Amino acid sequence: MHAQAIHSSLSTPLSRRALVFALLSLLVALMMILNLRIGSISYPVDQLLGALVNPFKKSDISYIVWNIRLPRTIAAALGGAFLAVSGLLLQVYFRNPIVGPFILGISSGSTVMVSLVMLTSIGLGFSGYAPYLNTLASCLGAYGVTALIVVIAIRVRNGVTLLIAGLMMGYLCGAVTSILTALAEKETIKGFVLWQMGSFSGFKWIEVWIMFVVGGLLLGATYLMSKPLNALLLGEDYAASMGVDIRRFRLLILFLSSSLAGLVTAMAGPVAFIGMAVPHMTRLSLGTSDNRVLLPGACLLGALITSLCDLIARMWLTPVELPLSAITAFFGAPIVIYLLLKRGMK
Amino acid sequence: MSKEAILRSSGLCVGYHQPVLADVNLAFGRGQFIALLGPNGAGKTTLLRTLSRHLKPLAGQIEILGQDLHAMSALDLARAVAVCLTDNAKPPLLSVAEFVALGRYPHTDFMGRLSPHDAEVVSRSLAAVAAGDLAARLVEELSDGERQKVVLARALAQEPKLMLLDEPTAHLDLKHRIEVMGILRNLCRDSGLTVVASLHDIDIAAKVADRVVLVQHGGISDFGLPEAVLTSDKVGQLYGLDRADFDGHLGGIEFHGDGHAGKVFVIAGGGSGATLFRLLSKKGLAIETGVLADGDLDRYVAAALGANCFVRSAAAPAVAGLAIDGALAALGGCDLVVDGGLPGSDAQALRQRSKAHGLPIFRLAGAAAIDEGDAHCCATLGELSAAIDRALPSAAQYARR
Repeated sequence: MHAQAIHSSLSTPLSRRALVFALLSLLVALMMILNLRIGSISYPVDQLLGALVNPFKKSDISYIVWNIRLPRTIAAALGGAFLAVSGLLLQVYFRNPIVGPFILGISSGSTVMVSLVMLTSIGLGFSGYAPYLNTLASCLGAYGVTALIVVIAIRVRNGVTLLIAGLMMGYLCGAVTSILTALAEKETIKGFVLWQMGSFSGFKWIEVWIMFVVGGLLLGATYLMSKPLNALLLGEDYAASMGVDIRRFRLLILFLSSSLAGLVTAMAGPVAFIGMAVPHMTRLSLGTSDNRVLLPGACLLGALITSLCDLIARMWLTPVELPLSAITAFFGAPIVIYLLLKRGMK
Repeated sequence: MSKEAILRSSGLCVGYHQPVLADVNLAFGRGQFIALLGPNGAGKTTLLRTLSRHLKPLAGQIEILGQDLHAMSALDLARAVAVCLTDNAKPPLLSVAEFVALGRYPHTDFMGRLSPHDAEVVSRSLAAVAAGDLAARLVEELSDGERQKVVLARALAQEPKLMLLDEPTAHLDLKHRIEVMGILRNLCRDSGLTVVASLHDIDIAAKVADRVVLVQHGGISDFGLPEAVLTSDKVGQLYGLDRADFDGHLGGIEFHGDGHAGKVFVIAGGGSGATLFRLLSKKGLAIETGVLADGDLDRYVAAALGANCFVRSAAAPAVAGLAIDGALAALGGCDLVVDGGLPGSDAQALRQRSKAHGLPIFRLAGAAAIDEGDAHCCATLGELSAAIDRALPSAAQYARR
């Protein structure tokens, strides 16, 4: 192929990619509007817009949109984006398309630490700082499990074994959590159990802001690392030989990935499979492994899928609200099985 | 070849915790092809990983282009040294052009954007490995041979001065093996690139490399011109060969027969015996042959096969008679004779003696034997082989094992 042709194929975004991005953005916007509009009471679009531009008007619709639906809608979109990016980072790091923060037990690590805060008296006296404390605990739990998984991954090179290690990690963390639940006082359990099933309901604005600011910074940092992330597609040894400071970079990837997963888990509980399935769907829809393209793509698709799952969780058997992880598992688990089959057939 | 060393090591000791190789002193020049040879587990990969800074040396110094390896920045190092490893990832949904463009890493900006110059280098790198037509293909869909060429192109895109390759020809068929070695040799000749590759094909290494490094017994046992270093003894000792031999003149490995099937005398010379020796050796026959001239091809093949040769030395005509006497004596202990069809008095004497002993004689019809006599005359090598099989009693073959 001619240098010119190579240059154009390498540097200008293909029209297919531009189209996919435009389509995804549009769908995310539509899905968010849908999430704001539909609920136990549904509003026509003009009323909704009226309430949105007029936050301080004293009316039911204004209250519901501004205090219940908008935080939830934004949180679901942000949470989906963060989980997708967290999963993408893990997939690049482990060179394994079947990993994600939930599958590797990282979300479970967060759950244990949050349960410590929510179910015991450790957090006593800091109730005003609950969102911050939860976030901190959640991230610490995520770092802990990630560190363990990395230690295991160094010893076993087999991708499927890594999944099993992750599942076991999830079970262990689940065991600790259930013991804590058994010992906890009854009043505290209800809130915890709801949180543990994964849900974006009841988000407060302060939590949305924490997610937006902290997560935004993490996403920005991640995007700036697209170039070394691409080098890592060839494995650590090659990346190091091309000029990546691999030790620092390794820590940075794991820190960013765990922080993003921990952040979402702190607020919304463990949400299954988004982090594993979305990067895979993004790769397929954009037809590339280039992280400069995949990262924004995964954000949009993560926001879209998670918003959709949240809508289904809310509306399918209304007025009963279903656990979000149950819905996301319907998307994610078949993809895991498909990837395992594909790998086995090779 | 310039005198300035691209890579120089002194007092180098490599290993993970225990030293694997100690006191490694090497200097590689510009445009040289250096082959690392040695048995599996000798430490070739460990040495390469140390030279590429994937592994810290336990002791000693490495200099790349006169700079201390461990003082160089990661990017400076990447602009000087590229590697090809045995573990090659197949990233999904990545085109060959994108894959090769990753090699531009140390040259591109913070976000890895490619300039027209970068694209030019990518295109040139693909052309250098004759893989320009693969640019639009997906890496995961390539064959092993194609992928290895693309892996080379990626390393080339780094525009290195030195390329370190760990078994670049493993898992490749003969065609691709020769193609890859040819590409590497051309890069040394044409672009002044220095190539250091661990290789298993000693015969290809002997023919391509400018220098060979023999890695064994916890150190470098020899380093120099392959023509000087790769002698039968050194190669045999390097790989612990006892049932095969490397011949420096032939540049290849020959397998010793174990002689379980009996003893054959081959009346050879002038290259008439070379293929016969291999055929007979594989049948498990111990070989005696003569009378060969000093520089005869037959002599090198026979020696590499472990045959007993009777040689007439041109330098010492006085002892020429000894060779034919020895050969005639040896004939008596043989089970059969294969005639290469050489004219000459020595050959004639051997034929007569064979007849006198009543030994079965086999020869190829094309061979210009002087005396047709009562030899088993075979039209092709296949027929000759079958005739000998019939003559060798299979019971005796196993009894003598």
